[in-house]
Amino acid sequence: MDNKEILNQVQEIFRDILDEESIIITGDTTANDVEEWDSLTHIQLVVAIEKHFKIKFTSKEIVSWKNVGEMIDNINGKPK
Amino acid sequence: MNLNEFVSEFNEKMTHHFDVTQTVYNAFQLCSGDMNPLHTDESFAKQKGFRERVMYGNILNGFVSYFIGECLPTKSVIIHSQDIVFKNPVYLNDNVLLEAVIDGVYESVNAIEFKFKFFNQNNKVIAKGHIQIGLL
Repeated sequence: MDNKEILNQVQEIFRDILDEESIIITGDTTANDVEEWDSLTHIQLVVAIEKHFKIKFTSKEIVSWKNVGEMIDNINGKPK
Repeated sequence: MNLNEFVSEFNEKMTHHFDVTQTVYNAFQLCSGDMNPLHTDESFAKQKGFRERVMYGNILNGFVSYFIGECLPTKSVIIHSQDIVFKNPVYLNDNVLLEAVIDGVYESVNAIEFKFKFFNQNNKVIAKGHIQIGLL
């Protein structure tokens, strides 16, 4: 799966968790760009992404992300 | 307490008994303001095929709150989300058993997901669902 396909799937997860069907996520998107993306929502997003892609992040990984693009790279780098 | 310590202290399964007493029923009615006849009118409930007044299903969510807040290996917890599916009616003076097992551990965000079932005194499943908590 390439980064574009992962981004599309992540976008659907964001839309579901944030209850915002029109939200557009790009590699440059950060929590500051999305009003509803608060600390509790962040937990729900991470849990939903881990479940969807059947992967596990570490706490070190998630604090290292500077934007959605880095999260996508992290997902893509996980062993399949 | 960290996530690994929590998981090892939780063991495989935790259970807790609750009684659906008149006091519990009254308290929930006062709290919710729900006077629907299914819960308050014996003859209405019987007309609809139940043996007596049906207790508020969301009383069980109150029991979930107690379980998370008071029974876990640490009190440093917060509920992130929960869902429940009602399978069978609960009646006054039922003694119900809550059984919870860990269904997911999310080290990245310090969260744990449980799946739970409630059984009545006849060992019938009355409700089931999931709870996600965070360790504070």
